[in-house]
Amino acid sequence: MGYSSYYFYGLGISWISIFIIVGLYLLFTGQGETFNIGRYLEETSPYFWALLGIALCVGFSVMGAGLGIYLTGSSLLGAGVRAPRIRTKNLISIIFCEVVAIYGIIIAIVYSSKIQGASLETLHNTANTYTAAALFFGGLTVGLCNLMCGIAVGTTGATCAVSDAQNPELFVKVLIVEIFGSVLGLFGLIGTSRLWSDVSAKVADGDTLIERGSFQSDCWW
Amino acid sequence: MEALFFNASNGFLEGVVRGYRNSLLTQNVYNNLTQCENLEDFRLQLSATDYGNFLANEPLPLSTAVIAEKATQKLVAEFNYIRTNAVAPLSTFMDYITYSYMIDNVILLTLGTLHERDTHELLERCHPLGVFDTMPALCVATNVEELYNSVLVDTPLAPYFRDCLSAQDLDDLNIEIIRNTLYKSYLEDFYQFVQTLGEPTRESMSKVLAFEADRRTINITLNSFGTELSKEQRAKLFPTIGRLYPEGNNALARAEDVDTVKACVEYIPEYKAFFDNASKSTGSGGGGGMNGGAGGDDSDGASLEDEFFKREVSINRDTFLQQFGLAVFYSFVKLKEQEVRNLTWIAECIMQDAKDRINDYIPLF
Amino acid sequence: MSGQGPRESVFPTRMNLTLTKQRLKGAQTGHSLLAKKRDALMTRFRAILRKVDEAKRLMGRVLQLASFSLAEVTYTTGDIGFQVQESVRQASYTVRAKQENVSGVVLPAFEGVRSKEGNDFNLTGLSRGGQQIQKSRETYVKAVGTLVELASLQTAFTILDEVIKATNRRVNAIEHVVIPRLENTVSYINSELDEMDREEFFRLKKIQGKKKRDTEAAEAEMAAEKQDGVEYSADSGIGGGDAGGKDMLDQGKDEDVIF
Repeated sequence: MGYSSYYFYGLGISWISIFIIVGLYLLFTGQGETFNIGRYLEETSPYFWALLGIALCVGFSVMGAGLGIYLTGSSLLGAGVRAPRIRTKNLISIIFCEVVAIYGIIIAIVYSSKIQGASLETLHNTANTYTAAALFFGGLTVGLCNLMCGIAVGTTGATCAVSDAQNPELFVKVLIVEIFGSVLGLFGLIGTSRLWSDVSAKVADGDTLIERGSFQSDCWW
Repeated sequence: MEALFFNASNGFLEGVVRGYRNSLLTQNVYNNLTQCENLEDFRLQLSATDYGNFLANEPLPLSTAVIAEKATQKLVAEFNYIRTNAVAPLSTFMDYITYSYMIDNVILLTLGTLHERDTHELLERCHPLGVFDTMPALCVATNVEELYNSVLVDTPLAPYFRDCLSAQDLDDLNIEIIRNTLYKSYLEDFYQFVQTLGEPTRESMSKVLAFEADRRTINITLNSFGTELSKEQRAKLFPTIGRLYPEGNNALARAEDVDTVKACVEYIPEYKAFFDNASKSTGSGGGGGMNGGAGGDDSDGASLEDEFFKREVSINRDTFLQQFGLAVFYSFVKLKEQEVRNLTWIAECIMQDAKDRINDYIPLF
Repeated sequence: MSGQGPRESVFPTRMNLTLTKQRLKGAQTGHSLLAKKRDALMTRFRAILRKVDEAKRLMGRVLQLASFSLAEVTYTTGDIGFQVQESVRQASYTVRAKQENVSGVVLPAFEGVRSKEGNDFNLTGLSRGGQQIQKSRETYVKAVGTLVELASLQTAFTILDEVIKATNRRVNAIEHVVIPRLENTVSYINSELDEMDREEFFRLKKIQGKKKRDTEAAEAEMAAEKQDGVEYSADSGIGGGDAGGKDMLDQGKDEDVIF
């Protein structure tokens, strides 16, 4: 407990100091203008953003599902020791958590179908930039929604397991809370579905698809 | 946030301990138990509960001592199961729970050594929760000096001993004063430890420990009337935590009779209610005390103790409302202990045919 | 009747009769005294019996209370047996014995004395249940007091029982054995004495008859001799005749020669 916090402090301090040293180096060697966030965002490949969105979507969703399952699972196991009758019923909490990961995967599949080849010249046009941003933020939204949803469902699932063990009547009541929690993940899904239909519209509109291309070499690194 | 990571190490055990808590006897079972005519019936009734046939192998004339012992063994078995599966903060937490029993055991051994008894026989009388590996080593000590040193070396209680007592004190002071001094520093230490833990644990445990500290303070005050315990000594035994600390403690340290004590705790409504209920249930609450100062506290004290027990049970019951905290482990041990006491009480009442007092146990739920 | 049944083996003499009568009188006095003593003891005995009964009932109640208060202590404080045992330095409750005299029977009476100073473990249960412990202690002191009282009554009871039995035996022995025997003896002696009297009387009568006959015979002979003319003096021996008629050894008093 104590040692790991030291570790994290150390890590944070070293990152900050590296950042400061590099920044000062650039500043003092007259290259201060290369530290330009706007240009970085502008020049980064739309592929990067699109794929990062997909990665975050899957990653966060699975993280949420995993957290949820282990929150629920450990409580379920413990409570099941003295009340074996709860184990089958409470698998539903596990399934709710699992669904969260499935949402993420579905969105990732849908998003990845939006990525198609684009020529180098048209890479940075409006439609592509919009698509990239849409995929990035859509993925992030779904990912974070699913992460939070997973935690919510997992925590309530754990509570559901112990309360069911104590009093079978409580199962349905806590389960309702849990269902409301699991709906949160759907909100992300529904919200971003508007985004991807928008993307399809834009893509159909401009007829300019993201193309495979190289990064600009004058990126600051 | 603690909900996120609490279950990683303690989720299973929390589930188990909640399961144990659910198997505590319900009001129904208590009702059945109080209807028993003899201890045979009693055993039969218990065999339908979680206790199962824990008395099955006992020779027939059952005694309450045997029942208490067996029930305690069950508690210890459950505790040990959790303790062996526990990891870092929980394992330390559970060690802290055992320290209070350990203090009693060490005091017992000290008593034996002081009077030059064979302390090996005493090992069997020790509370099984407070048994530690090196306890037999304490029996080797033949005088108090040696005992003091081996306590310092071999037991987790060393800090309490070191800070509060010297080997000389063990010889000179009354054993009860030593016990309470140790318990005071134990409570304070436990309180400090609890403050380092996450939120729901800290909140629930602070409440529980504060109550425990206040109860000790009030009890010590009430019980020290008419004894040779001086006020300065009494003040030293008060734990420096709890809701009565500091102003209540100071007032109690100067208290000379029950009415003063009542006045001292008046600003805390719960404790005031204890005294009110206690005097209500005993009527006028007069009765010949041993001396003038303690007049009437014989009858008052009895039910005051009951009020404290009730309050303890309700606080411990409430900690189960909080998930993802360590307090449930502490509360479980305390509730189970109360249950063992209840069982012993009912068994005793059945044996002594005192049906009118049989309902004086403290219902857990 | 007289002389039947057991009796003393004495010679039926007047002296023995007197002696036996005295003894009989003594026995009767003794009997009435012993009977009085027995009655006194019985009265006492009954009183004690009643007290023992009461004390035993009381003891049942008190001990039940006491052991229940111990149960209360165990409930709140847990096992304090060892601690209490070890912290006791001197007896705080002692028993003093004294004696009581009831019609010559010495009865021991016990009295519990609570020493004032000793309260060695009054800090036990300081943090929890101290009041229950003190209460239990008081109850037990009361219980011990009852026990002591009961013990003294019980001892008195047994001793009195013995004594009453012994007295009863004595009374009965005197009443049914000694007195009849003495009475028998008395009547035996009386009857024997009567018998002897009658024999004596008969013998006297016989002798009288015999003497009469002899006298008659002698007179008849004298008359016959007178008729014969021969007269014999009473003593016609030496110194003879009527003049020196007296025996020397006969201590008849000589006539005074002075005057």
